[in-house]
Amino acid sequence: MSSKVKNIQRFALTSTIATYFLIFIGGLVRVSGAGLGCPDWPKCFGRWIPPFSINQIPVGFDATNFNITLAWIEYLNRLAGMITGILILITAILALRNFRTERQILIPASLAAVLVALQGWYGSVVVKSQLMPATVSIHLLLALVIVSLLVYLTYSSYHLSSNTSIIATRPERKLLLILWLISIVQILFGTGIRSSVEMIWSQFPLMAVGDVLDQVGIINYLHTFLGIFLAIGTGIIGLQIKKMDNISPLTKQTILILNILIFIQIFIGINLHLFGLPPILQVFHLWMASLYIGIVLILYTDLKYEQVKNE
Amino acid sequence: MNKQPKLKGLFVSIVVLLVLSILALIVIDMANTSRRDLPILGTVPDFQFTERSGESFANYNMQGKIHIVNFFFTTCVGPCPIMNARVAELYQKYSTTDQVRFVSISVDPKRDSLAVLQKYAKDMGVVDSRWLFLRGEIEEVHRVSEKGFMLAGDLPTIHSTKLILVDKNLKIRGYYDSFDDENLRLLTTHVRELLYGG
Repeated sequence: MSSKVKNIQRFALTSTIATYFLIFIGGLVRVSGAGLGCPDWPKCFGRWIPPFSINQIPVGFDATNFNITLAWIEYLNRLAGMITGILILITAILALRNFRTERQILIPASLAAVLVALQGWYGSVVVKSQLMPATVSIHLLLALVIVSLLVYLTYSSYHLSSNTSIIATRPERKLLLILWLISIVQILFGTGIRSSVEMIWSQFPLMAVGDVLDQVGIINYLHTFLGIFLAIGTGIIGLQIKKMDNISPLTKQTILILNILIFIQIFIGINLHLFGLPPILQVFHLWMASLYIGIVLILYTDLKYEQVKNE
Repeated sequence: MNKQPKLKGLFVSIVVLLVLSILALIVIDMANTSRRDLPILGTVPDFQFTERSGESFANYNMQGKIHIVNFFFTTCVGPCPIMNARVAELYQKYSTTDQVRFVSISVDPKRDSLAVLQKYAKDMGVVDSRWLFLRGEIEEVHRVSEKGFMLAGDLPTIHSTKLILVDKNLKIRGYYDSFDDENLRLLTTHVRELLYGG
């Protein structure tokens, strides 16, 4: 295997893992309420390294809003974001230099690089909007698109080195794309619930969590309904694909993982309701959803290639 | 041969999930603790004022409940109407509990008689004793405002528009700018911490 191929594989995979980790940290920032830990952007209280004590806050910043823990949580999110951004950028440069004719490498790599730069800038919009629900959701949406591109890129790069398969036409792939799209909508519904809960809490700060969820209204039911729909859909598509000829062992595994993930998601969703939205479950609910869409894309890409029998 | 990598994958996923869970729990706990640990900025000074009802109201009457305190005067046309409109919103928000009370102290006792305060309260939509309007000698108000609550200003015309959060033990836990939405959201978070956070 050429070192060029090995390099792009390594960087694509590292970027994907880093982005997943970053989505996890982003969820943590959200539930720990650290989003405004740094009131300015890109610096934090006017400093490249956040203040360690209230005395280090420069003139012009309101010291009453300073919380050292929240500032550092938000700062780590930005730091991880920067490292991930650089990784994606290097991946894109490698793709541009060595794989200009391989569209399945070049396009996702360069698109991811453009979007991650946009995402970095958009971070400032999120902070300036004081975490307006719509901007927070767009921030997440961008992250989901980026990680999807990276998953696709990683899979394609590992296929550069295998010559055992040929390209197949399989109509089921369209269904998977639809599944991916519905999942994105479902995740946005989820963030909508989270925003409504916060909104209701700011209006009725003494309301119990159970009562708040009752007040959220239609979006809550839509999220539950779509969740059940996705679970059934995942099961049916899985069975459909398993019936096909010449599918790879990887395909079988991804179908299994997808079904396990959606089962865990429903289980977490029920527990979120039962136990009054514990933050730790919120983080994993979102993170597992992002894993789910990534694995849907792996399956989608995997079905492009037909396994060659014998050997 | 196929079993080995599968088991390895399962093992790696479980370890990753465990590590992430521990990381998340630590971060969430740190964030919660940091918010709950509101600093103690001072103690409510001794005072004895008169409430609009005519009853006397002293600092020790604040014991056992959370209070949001501010200074104002009824004829103020500058920032006070906005400030007290904000307090009125909070008064509505906390209408289901008697654990959170509001205390507005007049800095213009000459004009703000008890009758004037009663009318003002009525206009603000105050129907119960969850929002108290206090009146005292101007020298006393000076002392309480500057020495006790550490607010600067040339009373009565110039006074602070900050809301002051006082816990159940008469300790001052925070100052909030009544003109800053984000700051007021923080106030409600802090009230919740004081109510439920122990």
